[in-house]
Formats: sequence, C-alpha cells, structure tokens
Amino acid sequence: MVDQKMLVEVAKETLAREDVKYIIGYKKGSYGFQTSAAFAYTPKDVEEFIFTPLCNKNLAKYPLKEEKLPLKRGEEEDKRKIGLVVKGCDSRAIVQIIQENGMKREDVVLIGIPCPGVINQKEIEKRFPNQSEITDINEINDEYVFTVEGKEHKIPKQELLAEVCKTCEYPNPVLYDVMIGEEVEVNPKAEYEGIKDLEEAPLENRWEYWEEQFQRCIRCYACREACPLCYCSTCMADLLEPQWIRRSVNLSENTAWNIMRAFHLAGRCISCGACENACPMDIPLMELNKKLGKEVKEMFEYTPGLDIDAKPLLGSFNPDDPEEFIK
Amino acid sequence: MESLVISKENFPEIINTIIKSYRLFAPTEENGFSGFNIIKDYSEMDLSYLNSRMPPKAILFNQTETLFLMKPGAKGSIKPKEIRNEKTAIFAIRPCDAKGFRILDPVFLGNYVDPLYKANRDNSVLIGLSCNQPDSSCFCTSFGDSPASGKYVDILFTDIEEKYLVEVMTEKGKGFVNDFSRFFSPASPNQIEAKNAKEEEAIKLIKRNLKVEGIEEKMDKMFDHPIWEEYAKKCIGCGTCTYLCPTCHCFDMQDESTLDKGARVRTWDACMFPEYTMHASGHNPRPARMHRVRNRFYHKYSYYPKNSGVIACTGCGRCIRYCPVNIDIIELMNRVSEMEL
Repeated sequence: MVDQKMLVEVAKETLAREDVKYIIGYKKGSYGFQTSAAFAYTPKDVEEFIFTPLCNKNLAKYPLKEEKLPLKRGEEEDKRKIGLVVKGCDSRAIVQIIQENGMKREDVVLIGIPCPGVINQKEIEKRFPNQSEITDINEINDEYVFTVEGKEHKIPKQELLAEVCKTCEYPNPVLYDVMIGEEVEVNPKAEYEGIKDLEEAPLENRWEYWEEQFQRCIRCYACREACPLCYCSTCMADLLEPQWIRRSVNLSENTAWNIMRAFHLAGRCISCGACENACPMDIPLMELNKKLGKEVKEMFEYTPGLDIDAKPLLGSFNPDDPEEFIK
Repeated sequence: MESLVISKENFPEIINTIIKSYRLFAPTEENGFSGFNIIKDYSEMDLSYLNSRMPPKAILFNQTETLFLMKPGAKGSIKPKEIRNEKTAIFAIRPCDAKGFRILDPVFLGNYVDPLYKANRDNSVLIGLSCNQPDSSCFCTSFGDSPASGKYVDILFTDIEEKYLVEVMTEKGKGFVNDFSRFFSPASPNQIEAKNAKEEEAIKLIKRNLKVEGIEEKMDKMFDHPIWEEYAKKCIGCGTCTYLCPTCHCFDMQDESTLDKGARVRTWDACMFPEYTMHASGHNPRPARMHRVRNRFYHKYSYYPKNSGVIACTGCGRCIRYCPVNIDIIELMNRVSEMEL
C-alpha cells in the first residue's frame, strides 16, 4: 500500500516549489467506487490527495489538455511546471510524449508511485451496482477489502484487477522526480497472454469478431480523449478537408476509425488501458493495441515509453534494415 | 386512465402477437449490456436490465439519418428520403427515457416540424416498464417524477410479481390495448395497491437527489463563476455524456458522396467537441473546454427551461455512470444550488 501521508507531504513540498504552478493527483470521487482527478493549487487542496486501488485513471492526459487561452494585454504566460502523480503506466506515457517532442522533461515534475495494480472500474461497478456511498478500498494480502452497506467484503485481487495490470511489466515509474515508497515486484506473467485466443482464431472469425465490436461504436471518441498518447492538435478524424472518416456512424466508418486509431498507436501505446476503461460501449480496444504492440516488439525490438532519449519507433530509420523494399 | 392486468403466463404470447403487426423494440442483452433492438421472438427480450446503455432516443432520432440521396453533375438529381410509416412499439422503455421524448418534442415538433422525427413519433407506441430496481446514479425523483411514472408513456407495465399491472395512459395506448384486449383483464384494487407499494419501494432505493429548486435563477448569476473552469479541467472532452443522454439532441449535417452518388446525412453531434461551434471563418465562439462544459449544463438547466418550460434532464444517470472522469451532474448542480452568491 502506498503511504498516503507521505504522498500528501511530498505533494506539499512539490507545490511549495517556486517553479510549480499546480499538481494533478487523485482524490475521492463523487459516489461509490469512483475516484477523480484533483487539481491542487494550495496546500489545502493537496490534503485531498489519495492513492488507492481505485485510482485507475491515467493522469498523464492532463498536462497536454491544459488550454492556453489568448493572453490579455500585459499578461504573461505562466511557464511554471505542472506536478503530476504517476503510476508506472502514466510515467511511460510521459516518457513517450517527451520522446515525441510533445512536451519537455522540464515541463513536468513527477511524483512517482510504485503501483501494485488498480481495480477494473467496470467490473466492480457491475458487482455492486447500488453503491452510492463513497467507498474506500484497501489491498491487504492479495485481497481487496471494503465495506458495502455495512457488510465487509474481501475479494481476491485477481478477480477485480484491471486486465492491463495483470500483465503489466512496468508497475514502477520509469521516470520520476520523487518516488513514494519502495518499488513493487514485477509481475512475471507474459504480457500478451490476453490476445492468444484471438491470435489463434481463423481469419474470418477474427474479422467477424471485430465487426461485431465496431458495429456498436458510437464514435464519442472517449477512447481518443482518454488516451494520453492521442494528443494531436487536430485529429484526422475531425478533419473536414479532406474528410478521411465520414461522420456517418456505421460499420464501415467505425471500422476505419478504430483501425486508424490502432495504427496510430502502434509503437506508442504504453498499455495503460485508459481507452478501454473510457469506452461506454465496452469495445475491447486493448486487444487491438496489444496485438500491434506485440508486432512492434517482435519485429523491431522496441518498447515504447521507457527512455526519453530513445527515438520514437516511427521516427527512426536503420540503414541496415533487413527489409528489401526499404533499400 | 384504465388499469388492467396481464398474467405472466400470457406475457410471451402477447409479445409474439404484437410482433406480428408491429416493429417491436425491446431490451436485449448483447456483449454484457442492454440495448433496444427489434425482436422477432419473445425469447430475445431480456427484462433483467436496469436500463439500456444507449437511450431509446436513438430509435426515433437515429444517430445517423439520411435526409436525401443525390447524384452530382450536370444531370444530377435529388431523391428525398422516403418517410416510412412503420407501426412501431417500444416495449419496456423506462419512465425517464420516455420523458426524454417529451423533452425532444419541442425541438423537433415545435416551430419547425422535423418530418422524420414526427413520422417516427406518430407511429410509435411507448410501452413503459416501471423501474423496480433503480441504481446508485438514478435521480428521476429530483424532478418530481417517479421510477413508476406513467406520465410520458402510452401504456405502463409494472411487475407486481405474478402479474403485470397495465396502466393505459393515452388514447393511443387505449387503441393499442383494445387491439390485444383478449390478453388483459381489469385490475383489482389489491393489484393497483401492489403497484403503489412497488413504486414506493423503488423510490426508496433512489438515494441521490439533485436540488432543482431555484437553480435556473441561480445560474442566471453564475455565468462567470469559477466552478465551470473547475469541472472543465477534469473534463477530457469526449461525447459520452451527450451521446448517452436521452435529451441531448444536437446534430450535424454532412454531404457524403463519391464521384457518382451521394447523400446528405444528419448525425448526432456533441457540444463537447471543439468542432461543434467552429465557424467557417475559423472563429470559435466556445474556444475552451470551459465554455463547452458550461454550455452543456446551462443548456440543460437554464436555457432549455427558459425556452421550453422543462429542465432538459430526466435523471436517468447515464452521464454519471459512464463519464470516464467522474464528472457528476448531481454533485455539480447541488454545489450550484447551495452556492452563496
């Protein structure tokens, strides 16, 4: 378990720095099992910070979501840093963004949290749909312990753990300024186990499977907006001239959208699962991302989001490339 | 209003009889959640649902609607979309979602009548099913409604254990029931009482309340309040809340064509998207997320009640349940309500 007191203390110290404008962390949500992003400007705001197994959102999205409105006359841009609480996956997102020149290392101060894994929000809400009271969850000896309507529940961790966490190779932040507590042990489970069945299925069945999934996409773009690596200032799905993807919501356009997004994340997705968590239609987007991630890993021996000085996969070129067509 | 009952043994038969003469939408379960689909047999229906993930507004106001077909060029032509008058019944619609149509009506049947919506609306019978098990995000009672309200449907079914109590609410509902009269028998006072008891139980399950009193006047004074910025910071700007809302009704129109054929289509749009208010000049009157987030709440709780006399929110709770970042309309509006100005 993460030492909450230490988290608040470290966040306070970070906020006190002259070069930090605010810190983004987690706080309790408005009901049930929800948690929420917290934007702390004052030491009092920081006191709300928590880190529990329910902190399953990827906060790395927010620094790039910050809106810079036109400055009024005489006003100067606030160039101070943003503090950010990061788990392993969030830190990898930041690394990847820095690698791609989406932000600079000095734009952020990272408070790293060794992450023991977070809860699958959809799963716990499915099991306890009537929980309106704000609920704390503790992880004790591989069990999640919490109280619902006066009754204590102890649920084995594996039952509620988010899919991406079950196979996470980097639970400890790969980039941080301060780390809260000790590193956690790395899960030895193979990362691509989850897509094995799909990979082994015959081509037609796979196509049928994805048709079924994309059919119900409503094109709300929650996947894109929740994804820390979807930060293009204008997404090609929004372009009107040329219009690559039509606004009509049907299988053909939905397929174009989802495949396009998956391709744009190949070699960039850091497996946080934010897209899948956000999808209101429960499309298993991580299966697509994992598959492309696996291809990238096997073909190019590249893992995104580990080293800020590495070249992004699609921005690199190897003169000794074994492929004939490239010469 | 007439109160009838139908036994649960007769229930499959009436559904299968309705299917013979109506396009029947009913909740079915697919991929682990519920949605309204046309069913061909009673067995496809799943009534164990809380509510459908997508609101049934999508049945009468399609997410993608072709308005007309066209052929470009000198010999081009335009073919208007044929309005199909298909007899439709929506079965087991929840009272909150039925109210959604009451809120859409002034938009599509007001000063300018939308022929497609009108045809869909006129040809549809809304058969409600009372909510006996509302969940933690339901708050229809905040608007003086009830999970067992028949106010916005033509007919309301309520599960009273061994039977369904059937309340006929409108002339349209009466016509419908008369066509299938052999399945129904008059309700006894005990059965009506059983429904009332169910309703009371269900109301008790609704734990959250949005304080609507005086909210419109409050908002008149809060346009520049920092609270909108506070929530906008958290918002990631997706369209989940609008697309899952039974009352959001904004749309976009697009010409989609290839070299030799095309169509003008109308698709849902979402005020959370920056492109939504973008002018052709490139100017955007709602340039920041704060403007867009504020607009959504103002539209529901201020502009719409001013224009159409009803708050454009039914308390279905979908935007709360499915918001990826826990923006909670109850929490926000209660803070507005309690704000000392």
